[in-house]
Amino acid sequence: MQSQMKESDPILEVENLFASTNNLPILKGVSLTVYPGEIHAIMGRNGCGKSTLSKIIAGHPSYNITNGDIKFSGENINSLEPEERSQSGIFLGFQYPIEIPGVSNLEFLRVSTNARRKFLNKEELDTFDFEELVKEKLELVKMDQTFLSRSVNQGFSGGEKKRNEILQMALLEPKIAILDETDSGLDIDALRIVASGIKKISNKQTGIILITHYQRLLDEIEPNYVHVMADGQIIKTGGSDLALELEKKGYEWTDNFVKET
Amino acid sequence: MEIIEKIKTNKLVEKQTDIQKICLDKLQSSPLPNPKSELWRLSNKIKFSNFLDYSVNEKNLKFDIPYPNNSQKTIRLIIGQNCQIQLIEENYSIQQISEDELDKYIKEQISCFNETENWSDLLNLSLSCKKNILGLRINGSKIPPIEIFSHASSNSLNAKTLVIFLEKNCDIELLQVNLGKDNSSLSQSTFFFLEEHSSLNHGVVSYGKNGSNLLNSLNVIQQKNSEYSLGSLHFKFNYARFEINIKQSEGNAKTNIKGMQITKKDEQISTYTKINFDGPNGFLDQINKSLADDKSHAIFEGSIIVPKIAQKTDASQLSRNLLLSDLAQIDTKPQLEIIADDVKCKHGATISQLNEEELFYMRTRGITLAEASKLQLSSYFQEIISFIPVSKERWDLLDKILNEN
Repeated sequence: MQSQMKESDPILEVENLFASTNNLPILKGVSLTVYPGEIHAIMGRNGCGKSTLSKIIAGHPSYNITNGDIKFSGENINSLEPEERSQSGIFLGFQYPIEIPGVSNLEFLRVSTNARRKFLNKEELDTFDFEELVKEKLELVKMDQTFLSRSVNQGFSGGEKKRNEILQMALLEPKIAILDETDSGLDIDALRIVASGIKKISNKQTGIILITHYQRLLDEIEPNYVHVMADGQIIKTGGSDLALELEKKGYEWTDNFVKET
Repeated sequence: MEIIEKIKTNKLVEKQTDIQKICLDKLQSSPLPNPKSELWRLSNKIKFSNFLDYSVNEKNLKFDIPYPNNSQKTIRLIIGQNCQIQLIEENYSIQQISEDELDKYIKEQISCFNETENWSDLLNLSLSCKKNILGLRINGSKIPPIEIFSHASSNSLNAKTLVIFLEKNCDIELLQVNLGKDNSSLSQSTFFFLEEHSSLNHGVVSYGKNGSNLLNSLNVIQQKNSEYSLGSLHFKFNYARFEINIKQSEGNAKTNIKGMQITKKDEQISTYTKINFDGPNGFLDQINKSLADDKSHAIFEGSIIVPKIAQKTDASQLSRNLLLSDLAQIDTKPQLEIIADDVKCKHGATISQLNEEELFYMRTRGITLAEASKLQLSSYFQEIISFIPVSKERWDLLDKILNEN
């Protein structure tokens, strides 16, 4: 399916990626290509390597790439620092957003946004201009301004943390967003708010990778491709129907697939 | 005995006061702190001897106050430079204590001194000449914030002493700033007496320069229903000790302490606290933070003493420490000595490094590793810094100093 002719160049190319942490192999040959405007879903059991793949693309220092390449807009980014990847347009939405006590959310968002704007040769925003911008983006995720004066994610509910991630995505305007289990811990209303925010932010120039266990997020955001991961590899790729099939069959067959191979 | 000889032969203390004589006598039997005692065993001997290397010198005490002088409502005093203080306003008064009264009070304190526990005070009082002892009696309300500066001069050992009586129902905010110069030693001893229903919001900011040393001792006596809050920060000293001794003389008092020490290069900074509850219903909330980088060494030892009379004491002492380098060292020892059986006391200590996941999170938002570390450290500081009573325009300067450091 991914070998179809595309009009533009890929945003992200993961080529035969092997990676490990503490000498323990986690990824065992992952290949994935994302073109502008595409939405990819990666599904699979806990521990199959989905979150690791997202962290490695974002540049987590605890993982070593032992073989393969990650290309972003045609450039190899294997050796780029996480901040360089972010500034150039890679966004990772965390499964468990980190609390940073004592650092105001507003200042954190402003520093991050300006880092990206600097890369894009856009003028950096002072506190007043940034407040105008952030107010507009808050609407997307239905957050009120009190979130801005609190410490980053501190005392936020699970849903508030996820909405704060989407707010960051809206401000950073990435070329590719990898959203790691953004749907986990959300009630139906919060899930709809988050999904609607993602849809409004994404456009024909952005690529999105949704990492999820469940169909319910994919009911809100229909993916172009669904990939199933097991034992550090993508073992099957299909269209949105594949997610429905997984919902019915579960993941047991993936264990058998791994044993057989 | 070298330090005793040095003090005795110093021209400035030729005319020794009674207090100096008493303290020198006490030091004769203990010319140096006992290196085996709990309070001094971790003290770096070479650095401590460097503290004593400088000669007592009152000349060349030119002093530039680092804070902007644009707050009209702040009362600013410099120990050693204020001759006569007598501020009598409608709502309050700040007056210098008479020599006799000051003598009497200090002698009472000395009579309870122990050569090991109060070695720093004995040294201070044997060195402090009359003009370097500032004694104040404060009463009333709506008192403007007070700032008191102590400083050392380069290549000298200077001693400054502060004694403050806070009268009943009095409520003040006081920032004490101890400044070290290049290659200098400062001995600062402070004595507070808080009468019933008085409240003191006390800040201590001590910072040095290359080769600065500091012995900073703080003694507080709290009568019932008084409240004492301390926010402190010590940094940039070759060698510094902060000794805190607080006594709730009748219980029923409140003490809040938030302290922090930052060490870099091969510096050693230590904090020792001893909180005595001599009556029931006492309250203590204490947190001490250390941040050690490079090859430096930070020490915290705290003890809480709860005798039988101190029933219903509610005390908490926490030590939080951050190691920024593999070669840095942190020693921490919070301890409780409880005899009373109906009390609520807790203590704890942690030593950790910068949180990798927090750093990664910030970096995935485009913030560089250096900026992310700085943000993380400033969040670590903030709990303590926000507790120090410093006005906003001065805070900017403190922020700048911390960033330069």
